[in-house]
Amino acid sequence: MEVKKRYWKGLEELKETPSYLQNKDSEFPSETSIEQFLSNDQLSESSTGRRDFLKFLGFSVAAATLAACEAPITKAVPYVNKPENVTPGQATWYASSYYDGSSYASVLVKTREGRPIFIKGNKDFGFTNGSVNPQIIASVLSLYDGDRLNAPRVQGKTASVSEADKAITAALRKATSIAVLTPTVISPSMKKALGEFSAAFGAEESSRVSIVQYDAISYAAIAGANEKNFGKAFIPSYDFSKAKVVVGIAADFLSTWLMANEYAPQYAQLRNPDAEMSKHYQFESILSITGSNADVRVQLKPSEITSLLSNILTSLGGQSSVNSKISPALQKAATAVVGDLKKAIGGSLLVCGTNVLEDQLLTNAINEKLQNYGKSISLVSELNLFRSEDVKANQLFDSIINGKGPDVLINLGANPVYSHPKGAELKKGLKAMKVYVSTASYADESSAVATHHVPDHHLLEGWNDYMPKTSHYAIAQPTIRPLGNTYSALESILVWGGLKARPAKTAESTVAYDYIMENAMASNFVSSKEDFNATVHNSCKEIKSEATPLTFTAVSIEGKNIPTPSGLEVVFYQKTAIRDGSMSSNPWLQELPDPISKVTWDNYITMNPVEMDQQGYNTTYDQEHGLSMATITVDGKTVTLPVYPQPGQALGTVGIALGYGRGASGEAIGKGAYQTKEYGGYDLDSNGKKKGIGQNVFGLLPVVDGRRLFSAGAKMAKVEGLYSIAATQIHHTVMGRDSIVRETTRSIYPVGEGEARKNKNQYNPAHTLQRLNEHGHHEEAPVSEFDLWNAHPVENVGHRWGMTIDLSTCIGCGSCLVACQAENNVPVVGKDEVRRGREMHWLRIDRYYASDQESQVGKKKDEHSFNYTLAEKASVNPTVVHMPLMCHHCNHAPCETVCPVAATTHSNEGLNQMTYNRCIGTRYCANNCPYKVRRFNWFNYPSYKKFTEVNPAQDDLGRMVLNPDVTVRTRGVMEKCSFCVQRIQSVKLDAKKSAQPVKDGDLKTACSEVCPTNAIIVGDWNDEKSEIRKSSKSARSYQALEEVGVKPNIWYKVKVRNQG
Amino acid sequence: MKISSIQQVKIVNRLRLLVLFGFLMFIQMEVFSQGKALFEGRCNSCHQIDKNGTGPMLKGAKKRWADANEKDLIVEWVINNEALRASKKSKRAIEIYNEYNKSPMTVFSDLTPKQVNEILDYVDAEAAKGAAGSDKTKDKGGVNPVEESKEGESGSGYMWYVLAVLFVVIILSVGGVRRQLQVASSGNEELNKLTYWEEIKQLLWKYRKTTAVSVLVMVLSVVVYGFNMLYSINVMEGYQPSQPIAFPHDKHAGLNGIDCKYCHNSVAKSKSAGLPTVNVCMNCHKQINGKTEQQQAEISKIYAAAGWNPNIKPAGGYTGKTQPIIWNKVHVLPDHVYFNHSQHVAVGGIDCKQCHGDMTKQNQTARVTPVSEINKLHDEDDKIIQLTKPTLTMGWCIECHGKKKVEIGNGKNGYYDQIHSRLMKNKALYKEYLKGDQKITASELGGWECAKCHY
Repeated sequence: MEVKKRYWKGLEELKETPSYLQNKDSEFPSETSIEQFLSNDQLSESSTGRRDFLKFLGFSVAAATLAACEAPITKAVPYVNKPENVTPGQATWYASSYYDGSSYASVLVKTREGRPIFIKGNKDFGFTNGSVNPQIIASVLSLYDGDRLNAPRVQGKTASVSEADKAITAALRKATSIAVLTPTVISPSMKKALGEFSAAFGAEESSRVSIVQYDAISYAAIAGANEKNFGKAFIPSYDFSKAKVVVGIAADFLSTWLMANEYAPQYAQLRNPDAEMSKHYQFESILSITGSNADVRVQLKPSEITSLLSNILTSLGGQSSVNSKISPALQKAATAVVGDLKKAIGGSLLVCGTNVLEDQLLTNAINEKLQNYGKSISLVSELNLFRSEDVKANQLFDSIINGKGPDVLINLGANPVYSHPKGAELKKGLKAMKVYVSTASYADESSAVATHHVPDHHLLEGWNDYMPKTSHYAIAQPTIRPLGNTYSALESILVWGGLKARPAKTAESTVAYDYIMENAMASNFVSSKEDFNATVHNSCKEIKSEATPLTFTAVSIEGKNIPTPSGLEVVFYQKTAIRDGSMSSNPWLQELPDPISKVTWDNYITMNPVEMDQQGYNTTYDQEHGLSMATITVDGKTVTLPVYPQPGQALGTVGIALGYGRGASGEAIGKGAYQTKEYGGYDLDSNGKKKGIGQNVFGLLPVVDGRRLFSAGAKMAKVEGLYSIAATQIHHTVMGRDSIVRETTRSIYPVGEGEARKNKNQYNPAHTLQRLNEHGHHEEAPVSEFDLWNAHPVENVGHRWGMTIDLSTCIGCGSCLVACQAENNVPVVGKDEVRRGREMHWLRIDRYYASDQESQVGKKKDEHSFNYTLAEKASVNPTVVHMPLMCHHCNHAPCETVCPVAATTHSNEGLNQMTYNRCIGTRYCANNCPYKVRRFNWFNYPSYKKFTEVNPAQDDLGRMVLNPDVTVRTRGVMEKCSFCVQRIQSVKLDAKKSAQPVKDGDLKTACSEVCPTNAIIVGDWNDEKSEIRKSSKSARSYQALEEVGVKPNIWYKVKVRNQG
Repeated sequence: MKISSIQQVKIVNRLRLLVLFGFLMFIQMEVFSQGKALFEGRCNSCHQIDKNGTGPMLKGAKKRWADANEKDLIVEWVINNEALRASKKSKRAIEIYNEYNKSPMTVFSDLTPKQVNEILDYVDAEAAKGAAGSDKTKDKGGVNPVEESKEGESGSGYMWYVLAVLFVVIILSVGGVRRQLQVASSGNEELNKLTYWEEIKQLLWKYRKTTAVSVLVMVLSVVVYGFNMLYSINVMEGYQPSQPIAFPHDKHAGLNGIDCKYCHNSVAKSKSAGLPTVNVCMNCHKQINGKTEQQQAEISKIYAAAGWNPNIKPAGGYTGKTQPIIWNKVHVLPDHVYFNHSQHVAVGGIDCKQCHGDMTKQNQTARVTPVSEINKLHDEDDKIIQLTKPTLTMGWCIECHGKKKVEIGNGKNGYYDQIHSRLMKNKALYKEYLKGDQKITASELGGWECAKCHY
């Protein structure tokens, strides 16, 4: 059966609101006034007469002419002693490991003249297979955050480290109880150091030092269920590449759940339509990235999850005393799931994302029934991350709140004041503490009240070792000297425990390094110094472990003791970019459009538009018209947020993202963490305090059995007022063309080449035009045979750089977007500019909602009967397609022909070149671009005061992240994706220097390099054996808007959904 | 007469030396003994006159050998110390060798005994001068006064203006005579009433088409000329900022023959040629601390940067206090221009001279060498491409890209071989590339495309 779908890009298009109709034909949503454009408010404040104006004009022309005759003085400062590995102008790469408490990856760090400027995954070493996530890529910007503490503090005042050490050790010696609060420790050295630290103070009394691990996001139920089933609390390693049937239940395993960046490439291995595909079912309330990629997505309320799991378990023949009754719609889906699961015994995986013990016990029982243990779920390799000890942490916090807390609390970077439901009370408790030591990098919510603060290094500044999994040992090496007077937390613990002395030259301290190496040798992680150095070079190594596989013991699963809410349910989820909020001051992440909602710089209540209509909420919005506001009340606690129409949200539920509302008391957690005003400066509330971005909903999390749950029953009430929201959703219209996205199903595109090709016009029809043949008859010919202009000589001559993007494996994660921003110095513009449709991202990911309609994909056969209102009904649970879109480097580029100054031209390598210094800013090119991928520089982002708070290029430290090989564009010019031409040039130069042709695979653009699923392939199309050539010749390959005849150098590959 | 091969070598070497001397004399414009030149060219990097360095001081060397009763052997020692040591006929040779931690002296088999004696004589003469405290060397250390290049022959230009004025005067007087004659012959008084200017106006009106066309031509040519003038404006040519250290390129690259890449060592690896880091300077300047006061003052700046204290016993030492040297950049490109040295030097095989001029003769701090000076180098080296646009302007870059031949398909570089084999598939395009100059230039391979340098 062929799926008949009609794609629309936003509800505004669906409903054809007046403002949508008015704006859809214009590339840029609104005009800017001259004053704004000149970005100088003083201009309007002063009144200048015509004569004065002419005088000024004359003077300035003369002055400018004279000034241009003087060459500017530039300084050149060579090293005194050049480090061996540094060649000025050449990048140096370091293999390292990344762990920030919520993500782990083996990474490669690019440094230029000693400054880290780019992070990508390490494809050669480590189990993450080169996969990273937006936060890991963006972490390089956080390194240069000026609000990161650069010196120790004692009682809030800058102090020397010896002063702080003295006070801390004195306090520790006197203390009768010491608590160390830390995010999950995966460092074997840190574990050992903490052990020695405890021993140093608790020789007599073993309870004197307690160590508590606490993470903002808890997976305690998984560990808890495993403790019951296997006798050991652990989180296993999952392998999605071994799962032919994947069932996700409220688990966003491609984006935020556990080691999502490890799972995404595994999952993608079985998502190639040209080989055998896995079948993916997703049950969820919010529309997550994982759900948007599922073959079958089923909506459900959080309260239905336990029954659903029980139902699946009993259908598979398992035992459960939990109520298995579910709604008819769910029952239908569950039957299909069970049918598929039964066919894939030993080759499937069911994961559940709730933090409810019973759910996880049921999940374990199902996976045991499906014989997944030892296959897709490892019982040998444990994940050492996410081991938050919630019960212990709650006890510690209660004790601090009640003033009975430990004499000394050492906080190694946890932020419970922000992320714990009792945060506000905890803050009071912490304030009352006599000795509260913190090593956090910022004076954040929890650490601002610390009595002694000895800040830790940034991840890229210090030595660390990690054991993310059993038998995997990894090392993080510094890639830059510490920018401030910061001190490795490992060193600090050793110093405070009296185990090591703080060296006099703190910047050259080798305490942490020596300790890590000694520990690695003592623990037999490495055999020798040489082995250690090799491990540093590779960043990680597999080590032998004697762990024996655990065995499953069935336990009876009782009904849960959670009250089932009857009314509205609210789901607290993590957004791809912000996650638990620890990096919320990072402007790259704040401006990364949410892959589903496309909203930047905010959190909001997601609600199905069908229900919003019924309850009288605005379902349309644009830059002038905001969204309605509502309050959500959970257990007496209330937040007020805008309500965002999210198709696909389960009826009867709403969703709110965690990780927002940081810095509620105006803590210095980074410039980008606060709301700004329209013309710059912070938006202050009536008390003169800075306003955080969005609302913190950690306080709303219910706690059951000590575990924080991520859903709750709630009450919702409409509030007066509108809230303007900055979404990139509909700023670029689709112009009624349906040939952009192509999607088909497994039944139409089955495995096997010959058959698949036969019905190509069903899944990938060619565009044809009529022409007269030599006999004077009309005939259909492919669009590619029609040419208005002489073709550029790019085919088979020199290079022709091209790209294919597989819509089947693109999961829409957004990594490419952040990588592009980092590589190409793309400015951050802030919420107000995004709202006006002036975001600068060179690469965007279009997200298309689809709904079943009587119109064929790509062809409007029944255009007369087609209407948007009918399509609305299907939007309750639409399927979703993600489509990355950047400059297509058309060989017949429409932008090139309209440029009056030839600022955009074509290269003989097929690139559409944008020359900033030639551009005079007519914007004709953007107007003429069928893909709408050109961006205009409206402002001087690196200097105009409007962007002081959001643009990292405005302070000396933040500027250090800029890529020196790419121009920082100025106001008034066009810019767009250059295909990472700096990398192309560099790859060619390396080839020339080594006297070898360019090897296929040598060229990676920033986006293709970080793609976790390898959906983006780039290369030299003229190389007949190249991947890109093969990929572009695939039966699934098509070019977006091919009928326009612009002959782009980018091919897309039809998305295939594994459906009958 | 038959000459042996050894003699031949010696003759050739002598000739080479002669040429070198002639060359040095020519640029220095100063008469000096052969001994001085040899000392500076061969010995000075390790030996100093009155101080021990890498090798012993040369002052009194002759006497020391004589004292050891090996007066004649010093010549043998200088020419081939290895052979002398091996022959074991000299005790002193072994002594010196052991004294300097068995680091052997370079063998100078091309020097003749006469030359060695000249060097030793020069050294002793210098030492005596030094002792007398009358150091009157004309060598002023780092920087010599500028030798102004002669102004070009511009004298004949005014002749043209004189001729033009004369021409106009002649035309006007001929016209006046003609008019007088016309009035006289026709007797028409009306004609006489018209002023000279009115008559011209009348005439112009009569031939208005011709006037309009010629005015248009004139205006256009002024515009074109004006634009060409504007194109030739350059703010960089001759730019010579002041520098913290008066660094003479001619002493280093010229006199001592240090290869450019020794100091600018990333030139073949990176986009930036790289300024020498202070540790590179110290490789030599640990030993060489200047003869004149001025030299010593300049070199002491390097010591300050490196944290080197020459007074620490026995032979100087590092204090650990370093301080980078802040140079003023000479060749400054705007931020929107990407330039890669290694592309030009390692791949294109372009000599440094092509863009920087002959730095071996730059006796002042570095400057942007005007294109006219670079063009003159073509006489010595026909690989130098002669260009017309001012140095460091975009016109200059693309002019060279349009002239520089790229060797493709000669089997020497796999990259260009591949480009060549692909181009061969499109013969028509290949022929188009060859059109005009019969070569593939950088511009035809994309060297004129914007995104090769602007991104």
